[in-house]
Amino acid sequence: MQRRIHILPDHVANQIAAGEVVERPASAIKELIENSLDALASEIEICVRNGGKTELRVADDGHGMGRDDALLAIDRHATSKIKSEKDLRSIQTLGFRGEALPSIAAVSRFELETAPSDGDTGTRIKINGGSVVSVDEIARRPGTTVTVRSLFFNVPARARFLRSAAAETRAVSETTIALALANPGTAFRLKSNERELLDLPRTADLAGRVAAIWGEELASQLLPIDYVADGVRVAGLVQRPADARPGSRRVYTFVNGRPFVDRFIVRAAEDGYRTTVPPGHRPALFLYLELAPEGVDVNVHPTKAEVRFRDKMKTEAVVGAAIRTGLEGLASAAPLGMPGLSSRQLVGPPTGRGPGVGAAAAVERAASQMALFVPGAEAPQQAPADESGVTPTDMTRSGAMWQLHASYILAETRSGLIIVDQHSAHERVLFESIMRSFEEGTAGSQRLLFPITLRLSPTEAQAVEELSGILRRIGFEVEAFGQNTVVIHAVPNPHPHFDAERCFREMVAELAYGSPLVESARNQHERVAKSFACKAAIKAGQPLSELEMSELFDRLFASSLPSHDVHGRPTILRLSLDELARRFGRS
Amino acid sequence: MKVTVTRENFQRGLSAVAATIPTRTTLPVLSNILVETVEDRLRVRGTDLDISVSVQTPAEVERQGAITVPAKKIADIAKELPDQPVQLQSEGGRVAVVCGKSRFRLNSLPSDEYPSFPEIPFEKGWKLRSGELQRLSAHTSFAVSSEETRPVLNGVLWQLRGDEMRMVATNGHRLAKMVVKVGGTASGEDDLIVPPKALQQVERLFDSEDELEIARSESHLGFRSERTEVYTRLIEGPYPNYEQVLPKDQDKECLADRAALTAAIRRVAIVASDQTHRVKLSFSAENLGLTVQTPDLGEAEDEMPVSYKGSPLEIGFNAQYLLDVLRYMGSEEVKITLSAPERPATFQPVGGEDDYVTLVMPLRLME
Ligand SMILES: Nc1ncnc2c1ncn2[C@@H]1O[C@H](COP(=O)(O)OP(=O)(O)OP(=O)(O)O)[C@@H](O)[C@H]1O
Ligand SMILES: [Mg+2]
Repeated sequence: MQRRIHILPDHVANQIAAGEVVERPASAIKELIENSLDALASEIEICVRNGGKTELRVADDGHGMGRDDALLAIDRHATSKIKSEKDLRSIQTLGFRGEALPSIAAVSRFELETAPSDGDTGTRIKINGGSVVSVDEIARRPGTTVTVRSLFFNVPARARFLRSAAAETRAVSETTIALALANPGTAFRLKSNERELLDLPRTADLAGRVAAIWGEELASQLLPIDYVADGVRVAGLVQRPADARPGSRRVYTFVNGRPFVDRFIVRAAEDGYRTTVPPGHRPALFLYLELAPEGVDVNVHPTKAEVRFRDKMKTEAVVGAAIRTGLEGLASAAPLGMPGLSSRQLVGPPTGRGPGVGAAAAVERAASQMALFVPGAEAPQQAPADESGVTPTDMTRSGAMWQLHASYILAETRSGLIIVDQHSAHERVLFESIMRSFEEGTAGSQRLLFPITLRLSPTEAQAVEELSGILRRIGFEVEAFGQNTVVIHAVPNPHPHFDAERCFREMVAELAYGSPLVESARNQHERVAKSFACKAAIKAGQPLSELEMSELFDRLFASSLPSHDVHGRPTILRLSLDELARRFGRS
Repeated sequence: MKVTVTRENFQRGLSAVAATIPTRTTLPVLSNILVETVEDRLRVRGTDLDISVSVQTPAEVERQGAITVPAKKIADIAKELPDQPVQLQSEGGRVAVVCGKSRFRLNSLPSDEYPSFPEIPFEKGWKLRSGELQRLSAHTSFAVSSEETRPVLNGVLWQLRGDEMRMVATNGHRLAKMVVKVGGTASGEDDLIVPPKALQQVERLFDSEDELEIARSESHLGFRSERTEVYTRLIEGPYPNYEQVLPKDQDKECLADRAALTAAIRRVAIVASDQTHRVKLSFSAENLGLTVQTPDLGEAEDEMPVSYKGSPLEIGFNAQYLLDVLRYMGSEEVKITLSAPERPATFQPVGGEDDYVTLVMPLRLME
């Protein structure tokens, strides 16, 4: 028969992640099952004695090897699976190093029996601690059987580190289960000391495999997911939130058919469950990632337990989104468990970030261009996004607002709720409108039927005289009447509850005698504007109508720094749904 | 106390009084009403200490007495009772309400804890038809101020003079004044500053045909008809001298269709600033132009034919004030008089016998 196996050139071999391939019986089992899977076996039988310490055997019905290949297979860097450096970057098989068989053979009494599927004669090779003992021609059915006895007989230090037979058996069983989950189309049978631990017939259906391993109950608690974004497909089965339980759990992740461990991927998946399961409850997860071989590097770990994603963040985001979409589907009773991909799932957002972890809020915000209080209207373009993260477009359609204690306004937003301090908010609005009117000259000034006559202190009277030009521009028309008396003929009218006389008195006192607020101003105009904003703004304790509240919101969010008043205090507090969930112990 | 009234009379009395009951109060007895017998009548009284209302209804009195009852509960009960005579009887600290087969027993507070009503010497008062008072108040009280620093402006000035009476209200930005001839018997002249809430009660509780007796004490004012009494605290003056600010030398006059003017102002005001509501009016012969410019929003222009005498004038106003004064003009046409951009404009109905004038102070235009 034609030879398949060849020795990798040194420069390729040297690039392969080096290290110990075989640490315990389970790692030998893993290598052997992977070889069987690469040989396209449809049935694999695994037997161990004494946890595999005494003997372990993997038998398959795969394509087997001819005599020449079999002899080559036990050499280092002998593989049929890659040829060049280039192949290393797009590995499609489980094996690629040409390391497994020689590594195992070096530390055990090793026996390889194989026959190719084209009916050629079979071959048996026996190796003791790395030395070939015998090569015989045998008659056997096509396929390969590898038997490993007395593992680490020649490496006592290693042998001492092996655990109890039960613990090693558990590890073998775990390894077998992972590979069996990755390959439901292959039958697996696991025996320990002639006792059958697993008998997994071939199945087309992942849930069937889960049921064969753990029983129908777990299988019935799983939801299928299948989601594609950014060239990553995430399919599999995830536990319904309500069925998640604390403690031991079943989490299996695969990439391109290969089991791997990655706590970040698991965390991304659990984040997708956020708010749907109580803290400490761990849903069972069977996640199958598929992406172009170039997108994932499996050549990073000697036992291939870990992989490296070229775009780790993106992959995690897609996993989170996949879970969320799956759970969403549950809520909205969308058809579940469709094989293949729907067109919706195939279209990923062009931003390079799926509607998944982290990106969720941004996408949501961008997508919700609806105005604050007018359902369906276009949002004002200047809607700023400052560090408060609240914009008019963030408001929900209901636009519901409540005034609390005649001082605060509570409003629902998409991501939770906000509380606005009415005085601080109006202060910000007035300050900006006054500063703007200094440039544009638009401040209104209401003439009075009965002019206000005020007696001031000499310091105040002097301040009024010095500032009369600026006062006039904000709307106060003041006439000096002699003897520290002034007459006000016209006043600004910033809101219906405005008390012009009181505002003027308080403002003049502040401007005359100073305050931290006016000291912080950069010039006289800003001094007056800050003082006016503070004294003229709607007071705490002032009941507001719904219309007044919505006008205040409109104007606040149209200002350039909506979340701070002129004292630098916050105007807006936000409480996110996440925080609410946290406080109510829901996340 | 033991007394029987018809359900209808009982309910009417209670609903008249209920509106004065404060929703929240630190004085628990104020959330009650006072129910008492007066000769062969039942009298129901309620107060918030500023305004008090008292209503009498015919009754079958078996035993004289007085008691207080929770206002809200008794009003709700009266609404639901079957249409049969209602018997009220005091039983120790409680009052029993019996109507047909329905019986209620409500806890009550002693009637002597109930605030006493002001003593008003009605024999020294005025007499007039309720409708005239109501007409005055309806045309003026909208113009009062809600600012707290000048309490007199929170009230309506009511001037009683020989054969006429006047009412004036202003917030210092706009003013409304109305004068009516009175046929009733006058007893001296007086100036009263009345809270608009009291006038609202007068409009609500008296029929326009009711003959009212009106009289004052040092601090209170009372209105009464045969069955109903309203008392209010008076606001202390002096009221500013409004006569002085009513312009006498207006040299420009405009006649405009009231409905068209109102509609034009409402239209352009849509783009006016929330803050100032400023609209600019440009008067010229045969034409009135309306302009609104709001820097961060946009602008609006409108115009309408008018007849105008005088040199052209541009003047700014708070659109809301203009709409307020136009709303109470009963006429088809309105006469506007003006003099200068910083001087007031007056608005008066054209035709009709009402002696009614409103005045609006301008907004300074800064272009
Ligand atoms: N069960 C099997 N059936 C058929 N061919 C096999 C089997 N096991 C091993 N081989 C052949 O022997 C070769 C060497 O196997 P080995 O496991 O040592 O290396 P590998 O699978 O190529 O790479 P890796 O070291 O990554 O496992 C394989 O490339 C394959 O061609
Ligand atoms: Mg291999």
